[in-house]
Amino acid sequence: MQPLSGIKVLELGNFVSAPYCGKLFAGYGAEVIKIEPPDGDISRTHGPFKNNQPDPETSALFMYLNTGKRSVTLDLQTVTDHNNLIELIKKSDVLIENYRPNDAKALGIDYETLKVINPKLVVISITAYGQKGPYANYYSNNLIAFAMSGQMFITGTEEGGPLKNGGYQADYQGGLNAFSAGMLAVLATERDGVGQHVDISVQHCMGPILEAGIPFYSYMGLWAPERRGNLMSSIMGVYPCIDGQIGIHVMARNWPPFARAVGHEEWIQDERYSTAEARMENSDELMAEIIQWSTNITKKEAHQAGGENRAPITYIHDMADLLESPQLKERGFLREIEHPVAGKATYPGPPWWMGPDNWTDNPAPLLGANTKEILEGLVR
Amino acid sequence: MTAPLTGIRVLDLTMVWAGPMGTRLLGDYGAEVIKIEGPKQWDLLRGLGRMPRTEERWYNKAAYFNHNNRNKYSTILDLQTNRGRELFLKLVSISDVLVENYRADVMQKLQLGYEEIKAVNPKIIYLSMPGHGKTGPESGYVTYGTNVEQLAGLVSISGYENGEPTKTGFSYGDPMSGTAAPAAVALGLRQLRLTGSGVFIDMAQRENLTCLVGEYLVDYSMNNILRNPIGNRNNQFAPHNCYPSGGENCWVTIACETNAQFAKLCTIMEQPDLATDPRFETIEARKKNEDLLDEIIKTWSLKHGHYETMHNLQRAGIPSGAVLTIPEIMSDPQMRSRNAWAEHSHPDAGTWEMETPPWLLSRTPGSVRLPAPGYAEHNEYVFADLLGLSDTEIAALHEEGVTALSPDIKSHT
Repeated sequence: MQPLSGIKVLELGNFVSAPYCGKLFAGYGAEVIKIEPPDGDISRTHGPFKNNQPDPETSALFMYLNTGKRSVTLDLQTVTDHNNLIELIKKSDVLIENYRPNDAKALGIDYETLKVINPKLVVISITAYGQKGPYANYYSNNLIAFAMSGQMFITGTEEGGPLKNGGYQADYQGGLNAFSAGMLAVLATERDGVGQHVDISVQHCMGPILEAGIPFYSYMGLWAPERRGNLMSSIMGVYPCIDGQIGIHVMARNWPPFARAVGHEEWIQDERYSTAEARMENSDELMAEIIQWSTNITKKEAHQAGGENRAPITYIHDMADLLESPQLKERGFLREIEHPVAGKATYPGPPWWMGPDNWTDNPAPLLGANTKEILEGLVR
Repeated sequence: MTAPLTGIRVLDLTMVWAGPMGTRLLGDYGAEVIKIEGPKQWDLLRGLGRMPRTEERWYNKAAYFNHNNRNKYSTILDLQTNRGRELFLKLVSISDVLVENYRADVMQKLQLGYEEIKAVNPKIIYLSMPGHGKTGPESGYVTYGTNVEQLAGLVSISGYENGEPTKTGFSYGDPMSGTAAPAAVALGLRQLRLTGSGVFIDMAQRENLTCLVGEYLVDYSMNNILRNPIGNRNNQFAPHNCYPSGGENCWVTIACETNAQFAKLCTIMEQPDLATDPRFETIEARKKNEDLLDEIIKTWSLKHGHYETMHNLQRAGIPSGAVLTIPEIMSDPQMRSRNAWAEHSHPDAGTWEMETPPWLLSRTPGSVRLPAPGYAEHNEYVFADLLGLSDTEIAALHEEGVTALSPDIKSHT
């Protein structure tokens, strides 16, 4: 039995945020039906595609985000399909959607409407700004969310300007927050027998988590408009090495192990570096010495030296490194999934391990693959 | 209204950011969270508050700690002593959840691994959050937040267009693990409901974060191509970038996903002819001539404020957002209208604003019930009320160094 056995989820999600939330529900055992418009989720038109040949069935983005789901295509502009949707809503425990509030209302899937159809339903809405407020219906995407949350201002360099990080991290943050919040709502509903609306604002999730940025500004007025690129300080940052880059993150307690790992045991006693204050004061000098070390070592040697000495040193893993990682392999995190059109590929496994049988690996559905079977199963 | 986790007791053996943020969220949504620190081993964040050491009880005034530990109790217990371990196991027997984020081998060394805990309470949900996970050849490696995104594959695809891999401006792995923790615990509680048994959950922080770049792994395994960073641009659309605004270090983002949006942008820039210029008329043409297009937009964007551009473009249906600074996020009208910040008071630290529970659950909302605990603030509640120890027994704990009322500062500087 999986943690979410017996839960029925309806996903009216496009692109990344709601589909990631739905993927996690499916992975841990819920039955997830994905409702797609007749031309499919827009992530089907985004690459990268198998062999770089655009095909709505072989988008890596779609295939990854929709594992374990079934696909039903509905044209919600038609009365018949709208009625089909209502029948599906009556049979569901959870509905996940990521439309702008006005668009959700126009489609008839706003919470006020849904709760009348099914009072026990947990509705998870993921939007850029939340259901209410002056920007509630503003347009957004991953880039815009990075800007409006502050995560972008502090990333990158002074010269290069604000930078978002790779992939669709803002959208994923929305999906992950929605899954945690949605699961709390599921627990409350199973306890009380009454559903509710879970309102996720991506801006609200992303804005407060800028390390100590908000606490220091709010409590003490401390704030500097800085972007420090790859080197936050000499002992926290990304350094070049022979065949790539190395990352170090040394807290005060890690100084002796770090000094040993980089072959400079004498630094433990060296008064230029022996205390946190001294390391700060002589940061440039230390940085030069660390570069001297890093540029003469390979990434795997550095990673191993860190591991053996219990020093927080690793290297920048690219996708090839992940596929070859002895750690990920031994833990069984890398899952091979055979997709009927795209063939075999390697997918990340569960985000957290809950036992050998608690995560499902099934390929993403072909567009509308389950429409007939599911609509025929609806008892009128 | 009863919160989702009301009646759930959580033993919190976490420190710094990922773990404490996770258990704080459990507290925000109703759980009783008991944070356990040691007489000589506190949460490091107490020392990272940039508070002068001359302040009385400066370790209770670290804002970074106080934001991540509200809605918790604090008790002090030395788990390396027999008596401390014995009392901890008694707490285990009356608790529902245990969360820890030590390095992978620490709990085993303390003889508090899952098997030992399960023997005392088979219904416990035991969540471990180590960097690499509890198993595997690298499980003993030490990792902090910025290492997690390097291990996860994220840094390799982040950076300016065709530039070097670039780190996130903060320890991104930590809050992603913290955000995932309530889901993991909730799944555990549901499994308990279904099966009657507790569960061990191993959240390797690097794996949790690799799940947020999963499409790149699928792509590489199919196509054998490593993708370069693309900065703030998009593989399909243009314009899609961050542009300078008027004022120092002010920026705005603009993203046009359709021809109609682009035509409106040209009108607002008072250059309507650009919309039918063959260099920019179609999505493909704009993508091809993106450098030139970005220069044209930059010349215009510099003449306007960042919020001004955002509102003007949004009114026309064009995705745009000001690049907000920390002070701007705290005063942003949308964040204010959502009550994202709220004033609260702490007996030692005073009154200021902190973030509210981030997810709005209409029927069972989260709340800020308690300020972050002072060091040892709830010893009495835990020892007397929960464990039923007498005054004499509690005095003995102090004499033996099993607990403390104030930290041993020498071991924390």
